[in-house]
Amino acid sequence: MSFCLCLPLKSFRSQKAEYLKVSESKSAEKKATMTQKGENPSFVLEKQGKVSYEDRPIPEFKSPYDVLVKPRWTGICGSDVHYWVHGRIGPFVVESPMVLGHESAGIVTKIGDKVTSLKVGDEVAMEPGVPCRRCVRCKEGKYNLCADMAFAATPPYDGTLARYYSLPEDYCYKLPKGMSMEEGALIEPTAVAVHITRQAAIKPGDSVVVFGAGPVGLLCCAVAKAYGAKKIVTVDINEERVQFALKYAATTSFISQRVSAEENGANLIKDADLGLGADVIIDATGAEPCIQTAIHALRLGGTYVQGGMGKPDITFPIMTMCTKELNIKGSFRYGAGDYQTAVDLVAGGRISVKELITGKVSFDDAESAFTDVKAGKGIKILIEGPKDDAPSRGHLKRKSESLT
Amino acid sequence: MQNPSAVLYSPGTVKIEDRPIPTIQDPHDVLVRIAFVGVCGSDVHFWKHGGINGKVPPPTGLIMGHEASGTIHEIGGEVTSVKVGERVAIEPGIPCRRCKVCKDGKYNLCKGMQFAAAPGELPGTLARFFRVPEDFVYRVPESVSLEEAVFVEPMSVAVHAVKMVDIRPGETVVVMGSGTIGLLCAAVAKQFGAHRVMLVDILDSKLEFARKYLGCETFKPGMVSAEENAEGLLKQLGVDGVDTVIEASGAAPSIETGIYILRPGGKYVQTGLGRPKIEFPIVTLSEKELLVRGCFRYGSGDYELATSLLTRGIIDVKPLISSITSFGDTSQAWDKTMRGEGIKNLIRGVQD
Repeated sequence: MSFCLCLPLKSFRSQKAEYLKVSESKSAEKKATMTQKGENPSFVLEKQGKVSYEDRPIPEFKSPYDVLVKPRWTGICGSDVHYWVHGRIGPFVVESPMVLGHESAGIVTKIGDKVTSLKVGDEVAMEPGVPCRRCVRCKEGKYNLCADMAFAATPPYDGTLARYYSLPEDYCYKLPKGMSMEEGALIEPTAVAVHITRQAAIKPGDSVVVFGAGPVGLLCCAVAKAYGAKKIVTVDINEERVQFALKYAATTSFISQRVSAEENGANLIKDADLGLGADVIIDATGAEPCIQTAIHALRLGGTYVQGGMGKPDITFPIMTMCTKELNIKGSFRYGAGDYQTAVDLVAGGRISVKELITGKVSFDDAESAFTDVKAGKGIKILIEGPKDDAPSRGHLKRKSESLT
Repeated sequence: MQNPSAVLYSPGTVKIEDRPIPTIQDPHDVLVRIAFVGVCGSDVHFWKHGGINGKVPPPTGLIMGHEASGTIHEIGGEVTSVKVGERVAIEPGIPCRRCKVCKDGKYNLCKGMQFAAAPGELPGTLARFFRVPEDFVYRVPESVSLEEAVFVEPMSVAVHAVKMVDIRPGETVVVMGSGTIGLLCAAVAKQFGAHRVMLVDILDSKLEFARKYLGCETFKPGMVSAEENAEGLLKQLGVDGVDTVIEASGAAPSIETGIYILRPGGKYVQTGLGRPKIEFPIVTLSEKELLVRGCFRYGSGDYELATSLLTRGIIDVKPLISSITSFGDTSQAWDKTMRGEGIKNLIRGVQD
């Protein structure tokens, strides 16, 4: 099975730097002060457009079921970049400096009194959103819809780009032997793809179209394959991305054209040989033309899931939705069982995430990762956690300090 | 006494004793002053046999009772949904909220469930005070008496059973067993749109009550085989098979009959608890491609719906209240139920 790909990703390698080595920052025009020598150095969004490093207090346990984790690798996603560029996403506004990062894997460094499933030294994927556990949505099994969800790096909650991060034991997933911490950092977007796939109820034999060949779109292709889809069509406007998707998990590709949605949809059905139309279409772009095209590319009675986020309001072919009796769903983050399924899919070799890692940078160079993601470079760039410090001095410092 | 509690030590031995008043420990907890407690078959089982499935009261005794209503006596620092003095029905089983099944929306199946009056879990509601998280109490308006509010618990069992077996408008539903649970299952099935509901029992008095209370059809099985009873029932209904069976008796012959009366593709839910192992028509299950589900207590959304059915006056439970016994005479209420007297016998909470 061609899940595990060993082809080097030449097309995504920058001409300037070699991404696959952890880079030391030597640039004289570094914008952020670096420090990895405090108690809990943290990469912080001070306000729109400005990042810096702060030494923050080590998080305290909120309950005896909590653990303290040292995040080792953190990936960044479009939402992180959005906060950096705009200082807000919808109603969530960065009103005071906030630690960034939410896609992480780390090492357990301390456990609460009632923790039974983890021990110090365990390597875990970290599920960064903890719900209230008490409301109607939580108790009905849809904790991703909890109104009081505390999500890392969504204001006002701090994220994982720090030396330490605290979370409950049941939100940590032990990485099986053989799974690297880097792969562990990919579990978060994989869980997003698992949740979308479950919302779409993809079953063996289905034909699936995924709009968007970014990390989430790619992972949706991979998960759809693992769920038995017989045809997976990757759609993008970028030829390079589409080629990668074909090698990675898709069976067919389609380059979206600047024609009417109806025409685009009809062409997609024809070119990808979708017969009466696709059984399932997932949008992982949020782009209006993609959403419109998708509705026209589904078969009667098909299913559409909105995973991507773009314009809050769009023009939607609602008449077609009606006459085709389409089943249309939203999808938000991940819920019960998704993270574990993501770990199991990777651990069992049903999907591979290594090839999505196109860059790794040191904690000091975190901002460069944001810059690159914003520029659309690479697929997934990981930021290393702060290097282990010498034993703490016991008091907090803001600036870097020599420890000789 | 500060917190008089009805403590069971062994079959036939119950004492009213003072126990420490529970204190608010979690900021989301509330303390309820108990108004009324209902008697359930499981209480009687403990009273008569000393336990269920090997679970027995510890040497220190077991505070009994789990179907209860009351008024809020004290609230924790972060409680926002209820105020002191408000009248509530109590959901007496608290899950861990952290395990896989809890997070998957099936908290009734939580391994770490702490249920009132279950040995090793929570103390029961037959006390002056009961401590519970705020999301496990449900307010009832003045129009609903606290006696009636006790029924939210068995009604939630019925709601859960009906949801598990997915009753849809238009169905023909047969409920086996016309005790409190059977009656409430039939009433809830009607709410879920069942077109015809039939209650089955071996006691004429129960069937007569069912006809009066619900206006539904009834059937009394004879001392014949389950197959013959099934034939008789279907003949009375005038159908080849029914859509759904809710088994609320736990009795082996009734279970068998339930399977025989179903149409191909029909659905069955086991609500009643009887013998742990029985002889089951498994080939019939296969040939008719039946869906058979287990059903245990109540889960997410059940108490809300049950409270709503009561609050909106859709299901009247007053006719089911057969007696009210004083707290000090608790065991008499258990004896009444044991003798089959009445439908639901209540115990009045500790009076000042």
